[in-house]
Amino acid sequence: MNHFTSTLNQLDKLALLFKELSNGKHINRTGDASLWVALEHDKTLYQSLFKALGFELRFDERGFAWFHTDEISSNISKTSRQLALLFMVIFDTQADAGKPLIHFSDWIVDRTLLSQAFEKHQTLLIAENLDIDALLLLLESAARLGFTQQSRGHWQLLPAVCRYLDHFESLANQQRKDEVQLADTETKEIKE
Amino acid sequence: MEYGFQQLVLLNSADYQRAELPLDDSVSLIAPNNTGKTSLINALQFLLIIDRRRMDFGAHEFDKTRRFYFPSNSSYILMEVSLPQSGTVVLGCVGKGVSHDYEYFAYQGGLITEDFRQEDGSLVTQPRLITHLAQKNRTLFRYNATEFRDLIYGGRRTRNSHEPDFTVFRLEHNSDAQPFQQVLTRTLRLDKLSSTDVKSYLLQIFKRDLPDANIDFKQEWDKAFAEVNAERAQFLAAKNQLNAINKLAEQVEARLVLRGKLIAWCPKINNALAQWQQHYQQEEEQIQIQLSKLQEEQKRQFTKGQELAGQRVMLDQALTELKNKSQQQEELDNQFALVSSRETLEAALNSAQQKLDHQTTLIGQSHNRSASLIQRDITNRKQALQQLQRQKESLADNLYLQLSKHLPPEQLERLNRALSAQVMTLRPEQFKLNTDTLKSLLEETDTLKLPGLELSLSALTAQHQQLGRQALEEQITDNQQQLQSLQEQLETAQQHDQAKIKKHQLEKEKRTCEEALKQYDILLKLRANQATRADETGTTESALKNVCEQLAQSGQLAQALTDRINQQHLALQHLVNKHKIIDRIKNRRTDTDPQFSYLADMKHHPWLAEPEWPLEQLAQQLETYQTNCKTLLEYNQQIELTLSQLHSSGLTKYQYSETADIELAAIINFSQQLDKEEEALDKKARSAVINVTASLHELRSGLHAFQGKMREFNRLISHRRLSDLKIFKIEAQDETQLVEAIDMLIDTAKGIDSGDTFELFNHGSILDNEQLERAKQLLIDEGNARQGLKIADLFRLVFIVAKNEQQPESFQEIDSAASNGTVLMAKLVTGLAMLHLMQDKRHKTRAICYLDEALALDRHNQKSLIITAQEFGFALIFASPSPLTTARYCVPIHQTNGKNNISKTSWQLLEDLDEDSP
Ligand SMILES: Nc1ncnc2c1ncn2[C@@H]1O[C@H](COP(=O)(O)OP(=O)(O)OP(=O)(O)O)[C@@H](O)[C@H]1O
Ligand SMILES: [Mg+2]
Repeated sequence: MNHFTSTLNQLDKLALLFKELSNGKHINRTGDASLWVALEHDKTLYQSLFKALGFELRFDERGFAWFHTDEISSNISKTSRQLALLFMVIFDTQADAGKPLIHFSDWIVDRTLLSQAFEKHQTLLIAENLDIDALLLLLESAARLGFTQQSRGHWQLLPAVCRYLDHFESLANQQRKDEVQLADTETKEIKE
Repeated sequence: MEYGFQQLVLLNSADYQRAELPLDDSVSLIAPNNTGKTSLINALQFLLIIDRRRMDFGAHEFDKTRRFYFPSNSSYILMEVSLPQSGTVVLGCVGKGVSHDYEYFAYQGGLITEDFRQEDGSLVTQPRLITHLAQKNRTLFRYNATEFRDLIYGGRRTRNSHEPDFTVFRLEHNSDAQPFQQVLTRTLRLDKLSSTDVKSYLLQIFKRDLPDANIDFKQEWDKAFAEVNAERAQFLAAKNQLNAINKLAEQVEARLVLRGKLIAWCPKINNALAQWQQHYQQEEEQIQIQLSKLQEEQKRQFTKGQELAGQRVMLDQALTELKNKSQQQEELDNQFALVSSRETLEAALNSAQQKLDHQTTLIGQSHNRSASLIQRDITNRKQALQQLQRQKESLADNLYLQLSKHLPPEQLERLNRALSAQVMTLRPEQFKLNTDTLKSLLEETDTLKLPGLELSLSALTAQHQQLGRQALEEQITDNQQQLQSLQEQLETAQQHDQAKIKKHQLEKEKRTCEEALKQYDILLKLRANQATRADETGTTESALKNVCEQLAQSGQLAQALTDRINQQHLALQHLVNKHKIIDRIKNRRTDTDPQFSYLADMKHHPWLAEPEWPLEQLAQQLETYQTNCKTLLEYNQQIELTLSQLHSSGLTKYQYSETADIELAAIINFSQQLDKEEEALDKKARSAVINVTASLHELRSGLHAFQGKMREFNRLISHRRLSDLKIFKIEAQDETQLVEAIDMLIDTAKGIDSGDTFELFNHGSILDNEQLERAKQLLIDEGNARQGLKIADLFRLVFIVAKNEQQPESFQEIDSAASNGTVLMAKLVTGLAMLHLMQDKRHKTRAICYLDEALALDRHNQKSLIITAQEFGFALIFASPSPLTTARYCVPIHQTNGKNNISKTSWQLLEDLDEDSP
């Protein structure tokens, strides 16, 4: 047996991992422990193997991994747009309730929370054709992508949601910067 | 002179004819690519790594490698080491020949290449090595791989008295031998060091200082909570099934009562059953006797009734007769109302008699023949007259006359007997005669044979007598006279008949008178008896009344008897029915089930005494008993069913009780103590949480210890300046989720410790807490995926790097932390620091480390690295196509006859360029 195939045999989770990852799923430390451990154990091997297949396997130290694609930003699919909206309203609702965002994986996401979120962002959600049931369905799609998981009768956000959180934060920073700049230019203008 | 590696010599190995490489200070090994720099350094693996599984020759397979390094039995890899305990020694490895195998040896003394040459300049072969070196006063010790490894890593226990101590690496701890070798292997290729390697080496290095914690969290949790969960499950099962249990309790109670009853009843029933047969027979006999008595009585009654009925009929008849007579008298009175006396009637009779007598005399005088007889005579006479007339007409010719002419007289006589007179007197036109044929027919005497008919003539008389005319006319006149007389007689006879009819009338008149007289006599008699008859009617009527009354009475009596008989029949029926019932039940007793035999030994409530019942009630009681037995069996079934339902609903706590009764009692008792149970569970749950967190504590303190060690390690490497890096350190960063999960469990346990109460089944209780559950699940999942949780799982190593004027950045992969050269530096420093940590600082033996592609480092870093290596006790060997002037030695590889060659003579010693160092 040559070196290569023996290595492949060693990676007994390879097929499953590839299937999940190539379907756009995020492998989370929480929720997919065994897959995560497999990835972690043979990290470089997997990375090079997937690279050879044309995929970039990325790790985030907060405990998730995914196949990175550049297209996402340019061509956001309907689902990911809706997911972004879903997570946004959840984060917003929780932030208003004074919950630290960093602990999102501890939240209990259920109909109650979604109802609050819906109340708050009704116009926005209705514009996207989303009601509470649609949001619940969305959580299911999110589960398929490794953003959520069902646990003990409600939903739980998985570490991969960090990607959205990061995005929101950078947007917020950008906005702040813009505002500052705007303010600066304004003051300048005033001064001048 | 410093202790440590001195020089490496290869003879007839790895494409080197000879290679002599200094190891006592930094070396710049110079040769073009693909010459043999790496393979030269790799040769050290045979002497330092020894275990072939750990050796690393990159892409080269071991078999090929072995052939490469030991092509013949005069191939040598030799190293001179100066040791504090034994002075200068040589460690070596020699090929064994065709098999490309090799063996180890060691001896005391310096390494002189010429020692391995024979006088003719050729290399000594392995079989001759010992004797050859002996001639040079070297005592050679041979070892296999295992022995040799133990030898140089100080693991060799026993040593011959004259065998020197060849230990090269003194480790602080013998157990470090393995990681030490691993890191050492890496030092030959430190550029290949990865973060994973660093993590595992560091863990191995610090292993001793860490608790040996590897917990299977799930197992720990399960173990700690096994009892609580089990009891909780029982508690919940009991709570959920409380209704069923309450019903069960009722049934169990009812069954205890019923058992007691049946225990008490069973002997009574049996006793009664034993007596029954006799009782039944006696009773039956009694009834039968009674019955036959009654039936006899009934028969008597019947006969009497019949008699009476007979009497009544007779009396009825007598009465009717009397009435008839009265009626007759009445009628006769009417009939003879005009007759005043008997004489009147007698006179009438006498007159009738006289008239009759006169007529009788009249008739007696004319005693002539009757008119009808005379009429017949007249008819006969007329016929005879006609015959005579015909005979007279045929007198001229007739058949008889013809025949007499043609036939002999005897034949004619015969024929006359057969044919009538009328035939014989036929006229000629009335017949046709064939004499011959006729004669033949008349031949025989006494017989006339006609075709188809034969007549016997013997009994016949002659029919025709041929008269003459005279005779005929006489006879005719005679007949005519007689006919005249007969006509006169007929007239007289007819007058006589009229007289006779009148006589008849007179006789009738006389009889009527006689009858009337007779009737009148009867009337007279009736009149005479009238008074007596009236009396008789009276008596008969009263007798009839009496008989009728008696009959009515006897009817009532018969009814009463029938009733009584029916009653007895009914009683008998009743008895038989009972017997049938008893018989049926007796043959199909429900208490034949084995459990009834030890019912008394089973738990039961004693049955209160009750009044005895008579034997007659046996059937009824037996039925009750039977029903009770059935009910008991039903209870058994229901209870068993409920019990198995309870089992399947999880209430199995008492399943293995000695008997089902004990289990039932226990379950019922348990269900009544649920409140206390809840409290006890609460307590147990607390201690379980505390127990489970004890092992987590250990893990976490292990993590802290490791992090402490890492700080030490960072101090060790941080005063090395790596190119432009302001900060370079390796940190063990928490795997936040895991550590947080552990902290959460530990904090919860603390809360319990400090007395915060929690209610087991209320919201927020320890076992239902969502956060806690997640933490627990996370630890379980991780534990499962990693076959238990280890300290290593709680952190990840990050390389923190800060360039001048910049914020520190952390990198998971050391390779991505900085530029190639800097990364190389970082790896070397890290690797060397690790080796340094393991070495016994009291016995410093300088080793070497090797850096391929050394040109990636700038001079400054080269210098800095050489110094760092020196401080950690290593001499650095740089390999590069062009010379590095920072090294102490410059060693080029020459090629002669297609073979590599490095001779001591070509070593170039460079001056220390200290002015560059800080
Ligand atoms: N373990 C081995 N088994 C067999 N052949 C080997 C082994 N190691 C090296 N060689 C051979 O020895 C020759 C020299 O290789 P080596 O790697 O020592 O060159 P180098 O001088 O280190 O080159 P570079 O500058 O490219 O690193 C090559 O032809 C190689 O195939
Ligand atoms: Mg090389």
